[in-house]
Amino acid sequence: METVKQRQKVVLLPWDGVKLTRKFFGKTVPAGVIVRENESHIVHHHSYGTLSRFFNELVLGRLFGRICIEKSCRAEPTWGIWLPPRVHCPDCWEEMSWVEVYTGGAKVYTHSMTNLPGAGFMLSTPCPLISVEIPGVCTKFMGYLSEFGEGEPYIGMPIKPVFRMNQPTYTILDVSWVPKD
Amino acid sequence: MVKGAVSFERRECVMIEFGAGNLRVPKLSRKVFLVGAGMTDFRKFYPEKQSTELCLEALKMAVQGMGLSPHEFRGMVNYAVYPQFADHFGDQLLAEAKIHDYLGLDPIGNVGVKTGGATGGTGANTAIMAVASGYASMVPVIGWERMDEVDTRQGNAYIASAACKDFESHLGWSYSTYYALMMCRYIYENHPNRETLAKIAQKNHNYARFSPFSQFPGDYTIDEILKAKVVSEPLTFLECCVMSVGAAALIFCDEETALTLTPHPVEVIGMGAGSHTLRTADRRNMPILLLPNETKETYRGRNLDWPGFTSFLPARFATNQAYRMAGITDPVEELHLAETHDAFTVSDIQTYEDVGFRPYGRGAEFIESGDAYLGGRLPTNLSGGLIGSMHAVGATGLFQLAEIFWQVRGEWEKIHGDERLWQKYGKTKPADFMSLQVPDARRGMAISHAGTGSHVTSIILERR
Repeated sequence: METVKQRQKVVLLPWDGVKLTRKFFGKTVPAGVIVRENESHIVHHHSYGTLSRFFNELVLGRLFGRICIEKSCRAEPTWGIWLPPRVHCPDCWEEMSWVEVYTGGAKVYTHSMTNLPGAGFMLSTPCPLISVEIPGVCTKFMGYLSEFGEGEPYIGMPIKPVFRMNQPTYTILDVSWVPKD
Repeated sequence: MVKGAVSFERRECVMIEFGAGNLRVPKLSRKVFLVGAGMTDFRKFYPEKQSTELCLEALKMAVQGMGLSPHEFRGMVNYAVYPQFADHFGDQLLAEAKIHDYLGLDPIGNVGVKTGGATGGTGANTAIMAVASGYASMVPVIGWERMDEVDTRQGNAYIASAACKDFESHLGWSYSTYYALMMCRYIYENHPNRETLAKIAQKNHNYARFSPFSQFPGDYTIDEILKAKVVSEPLTFLECCVMSVGAAALIFCDEETALTLTPHPVEVIGMGAGSHTLRTADRRNMPILLLPNETKETYRGRNLDWPGFTSFLPARFATNQAYRMAGITDPVEELHLAETHDAFTVSDIQTYEDVGFRPYGRGAEFIESGDAYLGGRLPTNLSGGLIGSMHAVGATGLFQLAEIFWQVRGEWEKIHGDERLWQKYGKTKPADFMSLQVPDARRGMAISHAGTGSHVTSIILERR
């Protein structure tokens, strides 16, 4: 007796349908060319590792850097605070120590104005981007000025940090700078 | 822009210290030659062709230029290098495997290379090292970028993913704002005329008019450049590089192979690579690394940060290696043309100083003296550069070397003046077309640059 072979089917799961691009960058896609919209929504679970403390301290209203106190690291005591912090000293590869940064002498080292940010920018524009010079810090910490007036920022402008202690973003945006006066 | 009195006092800081091994002058174990170059045209939006097609076109042009058939060429290849900046853009991991297969080069060994904006230069360096070591005798390098799958805002965010995502990317998601930061400091320390910076954009948009490959040619006045839309104060739209789709290819080989292919191969006489912090913030002060054409006297009394925010340590480091390897002691006199990575007008003027075309602080003189123009002592970016012609990132460093290759072989006009190429790319050759061939050019240098100076390569070519 002949048996009828059962075959399974593979079908397309429920989907939202395809979108074809007809125009992009102000130009029409040539006839016959398929430009398909490939969507993606991806979540990364990113760890700050040992540097988590830096972001936790921002929420408490404190700016912490790291400093190398390893005596064998350098002949001369020319230490400076790393801000952004790094866990290890790039020179001796020993773990550095946390230190609260005294920002009393902070001033604008240089600046620009973000008018047309890339996608994902979480701040309003125009947004002054600044590099901050802080005595005792060997880097020029990048940040933004969250309050500014006519002619600001300018190089040498005294500034102080402010912290997003309510509803932190747990990004570098949790610290910003304002005119010292 | 500048207010108040600011002292330039140098702070006691940790600094980078060199050991003797760090400053070793590179030496190739055997001579390496560039024998072929090709490219596609470059466009903002290129839906007509996939990356595989573009890469094949670029390589085909290079191989045809050598008078070889694809079959003959394929039989000679023993390694291949594929520079591409970001998988994000093309949305295809390991695209180099797809392209290598598409070119019919399996099962030859190959490698993908990534060093941000300097990816093309690093790809060339990788191929040169493969040949110099004796591992390979003929190595094609095929670089490309497909930057048109996402809109410009997303494209800028992808590029800024190559800034530090923990501490800097969120502050702009755009490289133009990071470069504008350096521009403000550069203007503050060195006081160039604002117009001088705009002249770099004017020059490169204009030279791009004479290239069938270029994406953003234009005959702009200084006023138009300065009054264009401000992307990130003070940088205007016309002072920033384009975002491109396209490919470029180079073919490197050993001396024995080179001489069977052409009586005028182009030798790699100098090369170098340098690096610095991905985060602009993390640059530590150090004494200026002196080039062969500088002495301590050159900077006596200078009391500014170095590299600070106005210089690129890796450009200086890489070029120092390349000059010392090539025996160059006076670059403006001894080089005949150069291609710099003019991602922004300010980065170009910074680079003139890093590579010793002028001492630090005096880069503007390189433009104002006329040296940088055709007819000047060291014409720079006759290709149209990144501002006028292209920045399909993985292809960019190769594009620069291809343009130098054609120049030093006296082939600039044969390539760029070819009506068929203009027609192929749907363009009309300008009525005022002029030859940008540098008379008697034999030696040129290309600078390939990443990030706010995270990687730089320097390659010096000389025609036999």
